[in-house]
Amino acid sequence: MTVRDEAGAASGALDELRRPVRGRITVAAGLQALATVLAVTPTVALVEIARRLLRDEGEPVWPLAWTAVGLLVARFALYASASLLAHLADADLAHLLRRRLTEHLSVLPLAWFAGGVSGRVRTIVQDDVADLHHAVAHARGDLASAIAGPVVVVGYLAWVSWPLALVTVALVAVAQTIRMRLAVRATEQRARIAAANTELTAAVLETVRGISVVKAFGGDRGGAPRFAAAAADYVDADEQAQQIFLRPRGVARATVAPATVVFVVTALGTAMVAAGWSEPVDLVAFALLGVGLFEQITPIYLAQELRETAQGAAERIGALLDEPASPAVEPARARPVGAPLTMELDDVRFGYDVRAAVAAAAAAVAAAAVVADADAAAQADAGGGSGGREVLRGISATLAPGTVTALVGPSGAGKSTLAMLLARFADPTGGAIRLGGVDLREIDRDELYRRVGFLLQDAVLLRRSIRANIALAVPTAGDEAVRAAARAAAIDERILALPRGYDTVVGEDAQLSGGEAQRIAIARTLLAGTPIVILDEATAFADPDSEAAIQDALAELAVGRTLLVIAHRLYTITEADQILVLDDGRLVERGRHDDLLAAGGRYARLWHAQNGEATVEAVPPGTVAPAGGPR
Amino acid sequence: MTGGLRGLVPAGQHRALGRYLVAVVVYAVSEGVAFGVLVPLLIDLIDGRTGRAGWWLVPLTAAAAVGWVAHYYLGSRALRLSTAWRRDLYTRIGEQLVRLPLGWFDGPRAGEVPQLVVGDAARVAGSVFLAQALLGALLTPVTIAVFLLAYDWRLGLAALVAAPVVVAALVLGGRLSARTEAAQHAATAQAGGRLVEFACAQPTLRATGNTAAGRAALDEALTAQHRAARREVVGSLPGEYLGELGLQLAFTALLLSGLALATDDALRPARMIALVVLGISLLRPLDAVVGLTGDLRGCQASARRIDDLLTVPPLPEPTAAPASTAARAEGAAARATGASLAEDQATGAHGGPPGEAGIELVDVRFAYPGGPEVLGGLTLSIPAGRTTALVGTSGAGKTTVTKLIARFHDVDAGAVRVGGVDVRDLPSAELLGRVALVFQDVYLFDATVEDNIRFGNPDATPDQVRDAARRARVDTIVDRLPDGWASPVGEGGRLLSGGERQRVAIARALCKDAPIVLLDEATASLDTENEAAVYAALAELAADRTVLIIAHRLDTIVRADQIAVLDGGRVLECGPHADLLARDGRYAAFWRERERARGWRLRHDDAPTGQPAPEPAG
Repeated sequence: MTVRDEAGAASGALDELRRPVRGRITVAAGLQALATVLAVTPTVALVEIARRLLRDEGEPVWPLAWTAVGLLVARFALYASASLLAHLADADLAHLLRRRLTEHLSVLPLAWFAGGVSGRVRTIVQDDVADLHHAVAHARGDLASAIAGPVVVVGYLAWVSWPLALVTVALVAVAQTIRMRLAVRATEQRARIAAANTELTAAVLETVRGISVVKAFGGDRGGAPRFAAAAADYVDADEQAQQIFLRPRGVARATVAPATVVFVVTALGTAMVAAGWSEPVDLVAFALLGVGLFEQITPIYLAQELRETAQGAAERIGALLDEPASPAVEPARARPVGAPLTMELDDVRFGYDVRAAVAAAAAAVAAAAVVADADAAAQADAGGGSGGREVLRGISATLAPGTVTALVGPSGAGKSTLAMLLARFADPTGGAIRLGGVDLREIDRDELYRRVGFLLQDAVLLRRSIRANIALAVPTAGDEAVRAAARAAAIDERILALPRGYDTVVGEDAQLSGGEAQRIAIARTLLAGTPIVILDEATAFADPDSEAAIQDALAELAVGRTLLVIAHRLYTITEADQILVLDDGRLVERGRHDDLLAAGGRYARLWHAQNGEATVEAVPPGTVAPAGGPR
Repeated sequence: MTGGLRGLVPAGQHRALGRYLVAVVVYAVSEGVAFGVLVPLLIDLIDGRTGRAGWWLVPLTAAAAVGWVAHYYLGSRALRLSTAWRRDLYTRIGEQLVRLPLGWFDGPRAGEVPQLVVGDAARVAGSVFLAQALLGALLTPVTIAVFLLAYDWRLGLAALVAAPVVVAALVLGGRLSARTEAAQHAATAQAGGRLVEFACAQPTLRATGNTAAGRAALDEALTAQHRAARREVVGSLPGEYLGELGLQLAFTALLLSGLALATDDALRPARMIALVVLGISLLRPLDAVVGLTGDLRGCQASARRIDDLLTVPPLPEPTAAPASTAARAEGAAARATGASLAEDQATGAHGGPPGEAGIELVDVRFAYPGGPEVLGGLTLSIPAGRTTALVGTSGAGKTTVTKLIARFHDVDAGAVRVGGVDVRDLPSAELLGRVALVFQDVYLFDATVEDNIRFGNPDATPDQVRDAARRARVDTIVDRLPDGWASPVGEGGRLLSGGERQRVAIARALCKDAPIVLLDEATASLDTENEAAVYAALAELAADRTVLIIAHRLDTIVRADQIAVLDGGRVLECGPHADLLARDGRYAAFWRERERARGWRLRHDDAPTGQPAPEPAG
C-alpha cells in the first residue's frame, strides 16, 4: 500500500511539473497514436490487394496501393511532427524549470547556501531537469502508441480470422504475463543491487582518495581489499538476480519469437485451410501483423527505469521549489531606512523549534557555523533532537555609526549566528534587529545590502574580469575608482603583475591564492561603500602567508565605517570601541578592553587563557586528561 | 566493428566467447530460414496444394525448434560470459589502481574512476547481450535477403534498393546530430558552471544590493542552453527519421514493383504475395539496428576508457628488494624499545630505526608532465628524528618536495633517498609503510572517528587506536559527538571543523606509527582551543620521528630544528631559526613581515601603516 501511495505522490510531483506543457504533450501523444494506427494500414491494404488479386475478378488494385503509399507518407509526417512537438516542449519546459529554480534560489534565505550546496544545486537544476526528458518527451506518446497499435491490429486480425487471432493473442498474453511477474520480482532485486552499487561506489572512492594507505597496506594482499570485496558482491548480486530471470525470460522470448509466431500461425492456419475454415490469404495478415504484436507493447516496459528516474528527479525538483523563501517585503510595506544608521539589537533570540520553516533556516545556519565553530553545530544538533534550544537568548546591544564592535566568546557561544542574523542570512525567532530605527524584515533586500556589507565566508570570485569582480556592486564605477579600491586593499600591484591586468578573467587566465581573493573581496566591499561592515576575523585571515597585506586592507576598511568583527585572537581588538562577550547565547559582559580586563570577569579569563596557551610548550602532553571511555 | 572490446576479453574466455557467437549466428540464420520456408508454403497453400504445404511445416518446425534451444542456451551462456568478464575487469582495475603512480591520483582522470567501475565495466560486459541483439537484427535480414534474391532477383533488388539511401541518410544524419549534440553539451557545461557560481556566490551577489545584475550571466547561459537544446532537437531529426524513411521507401518499392510485375503477368499473384511478405519480414528487424549500433558505440567508448586506465604505465618497481629485508628486521628490533605501538606489527612493513628515516634530495629536477620545471636542482638533507620546516611563497615547490619523497612521481634528474636508499629501489608498499602523509586535503571517510583512525593501520588493536586518538587530542572531539566513538564524520569529514579534521589525520598517522611524517599544515585559521590541540598533537607526532612540515604558522616555524626556505624550485637558505635571522637574508625579511602582522590592532581611526603595537600583557 505504502509503495503505491509513494508512487502516487511521485507521479503527482511529475504531473505538477509537466503542467506548463501538458497541452502540447497531449497533442503530441495523440498524433503519435494516430501515426501508429496509420502504420498498420499499408499492411492491411497489402492483404486486401492480395485478396483481390487472388479472387481474379478484375477488381482494381492500384488505387489501394497508392492509398497505402499515401497513408505511409501521412504516418511519417505525423510521427515526425509528434516527436518534434514533444521534444521542443521538453526543451522549453527544461528552460522554464531552470528559470523557476534559479529564481527561487535567489529568494531563499542566505543561510540555505551556507552549508555548501553547489553539488546539490547542480544535480537538481541541470541533471534532474534533464532526467525528466523521458517523462515529458516520450512517456505519454509511447503509452498511447502501445494501446492504439495493438487494439487496431488485434481488431483487424479478429475480423480476418478470430480463431487465429485468439491463438496469436494467447501467445502474446503468455509472454506478457511472464514479463509482468518478472517486473515485480525485479523491483525486489533492485534494492539489493542498488545497495551493492552504493557500496561499490563508496569503495572506489575510498580506494582512490586513500590510495597512499591502500598501497602501503595492500601491496602484499592483492589489490585494494574493500574494492575487491565490494566488486565481488556487486557482480554476485547482479548475477543472482539475472539467474532468477533467466529461465522465465527465455520462455517468454521463445514464445513470441518471430519464428515461433510464424510456426504456430501457419501450422494452425494450414490445418484450418485444409478444413476449409479459412482462406490461405488470411495467413498473410497473420504472418505480417501477428509477428510484431508483442514488440508494440515493449517500449513502455523498457522505460520502467527511466520512469523511476524521472519521478525521483521530479520529487527533488519539487522539494527545492517548496523550500520556504526568505520572507520578502512587499514594496508597498517597505519602509525607508532612517538616519543615523545605528544598528540596534533588541532582545534578539534565535532557536530551533518555533516553526518548521524557521527550523530549516536554523539548521542551515548551524551547518554554516560548522566552518567557524563546530561546537555550535554539534550543540544545535543535540538541541534539535531534544527540541527547543536557543542559540541566542536575548541579546541587546547598539552599534553606533563609525564605531568598531568586537564579538568574542568561546566556540559555540553564538558569535557566528549573531553575525549572520545581522547580515540577514536568517531572521531572529524572537526580538528584533533594527537599522536606523527600522526592523530589518521591513527593509527592501537590496536597500538593506546597500547599507550592510559582510565578509563572513571565504571570498567568492566570479568567473569574470577582476575589474568586474571589484565593481560588482557599482558596475558603473570608473577605472580610477576600481584601482583606488584595489590600491587601498593592497592588491593593485599584484593585479597589474598579471598578464592581462584588470582584464584578467578569474579562474580562466589566472588562479588566485586565498589571500589574494580575500583582498579583492575587501576591495569590492570598499568600492561598494556600505557604511556598515560585518566581518569574521577567521575568514579574513584565511591565508597566513598574506596576513600582513590583508591587515592593511582591513585597516582601510575600518576608516569611517561601522564595523562588527567576530574576533578569535583577542589582541587584535584591544582598541575596539566596544567588546561584546558572548557565552552560551547570552551577552555576559560588554565594555572596552582595559575596563573588561580590570573587571576580572569572563573576558579577562579568556584573555589570560589565550595569552598563556599561545605556544605549544605551555601544554605538555602529559597534562591532558585521559579520554572518557567509549559509550 | 568490435573496436576496443576485443582487447578487453579475459584471457581464456576467447574460445567460450567464440562458441557463443557461433550459436548466436546459428539462431539468427534459423530465424531467417523460417521466413524463407514460409514462401513455398504460402504458394502451395494459395494454389490449393494443402497437403504439400503441410510438408513445408517440417523445416519450419525445425527452424523454430532451433530458435527455442538457442534462446535457452544463449541466455545462460551470455550471463555466464558477461559475469566472468565483469569479474575479470574488476580484478584488473583493482590491481591496476594499486600499481598506478600516486601522482596519477592527483590528476584529472582519478575523478572518472567511479564511473569507470560502476558504469563502463558493466557496459563492456553487457556487450555480450548486445551482440545477440545486434547480430540478430543484422543476420536475420541478410539470410532473408539471400532467400529473396534466390526466389526472384527483381523483388530482391526492390527490397534492397533503399539500403544505400538508408546508409547515406544515417551517416549524414549522424554527422549533423553530432554537431548539434556537441554544441548542446558545451552549452550545458557552460550553464552548469554559471549555475554553481550563482549558488556559491549568493551571499556575494546579494551583498551588491542589485539582485538583477547578478543573474545576467546565468540567464544568458541558460538561454544559450535552451537555444542549443532546441537546435539539437531539430538537428537530430534527420538522423532519427531518415532511416525510417528509407525503410518506408523499401516497403513502397516492394509493393509497387510486386504489383507491377503481377499486373504485367510477369509474376504469378500467389508467388508475388508470398515474396512481398518475405520482403517485409526482411525490413522489420532493421528498425532496431540504428539504436543498437548507437549502443555498440557506447560500449566501445567504455572499452576505450577502461583500456586507457589499464595501460597507464606504473612506476617501475624494483625486481628484488636488496637492503630492505635486513633493514626491516633490524628496524623492528630497534624500535621495540621506543615505540609502544610497533611491537606487534604483523607485517613489519613500517619498521625502520630513526637512522633509517633520514631523507636526502640530491640535485632534484622535476616538472609535471607538460608543465614548466618546478624543481630546478634542489638539494636538501632532512635529518632523521628531527623536524624540518619548508617555507616559501606559493609555487615555490614545497608540495612537490613532499610528493616526490612519497614517490607520487619519479624525479626527472637527481635522486630522492630515504634511509640512504633511492626511493626507486624501494618496493612501493615498503616506502609508503614508512611514510605517513598528513596533507591538508586529507580524506576522511564517511565512517566513524575510530574507523578513520584505524584506516592508518588496519592491524591496530582498539587500544592502539584509542591511544593514538588520545595523543592527537581526538578524545575531546569524541566527547562532544552525539554517538562518541561511533559517530560518523560525514563525507570528507564535513561534520568536523578544519582543525578537528587535522587532528583526526594526525591520529591516523600516529596509529600508523611510521618513522617519517610528511605534513602540510592547515592554512585555515583555527580557533584558540583547536590551535592549542593541534599544536599538542603535532608535538606528539614530532617526538622521535622525521617530520617534514610545510609550515605556515610562526610558532611551528620557530620550533623546527631546521628551516628550509624555498624559492623558484631551489633551497635558498637552510638552517635553524636563529642562524637564518642572523644571516639577514630572505628568511629574516619574511620574519619581519610576519612579526608586523602579529602586532596588528584593528582600529577604526587607524591609518594603514600597521605599526607594531605594544605586545599584549600576560
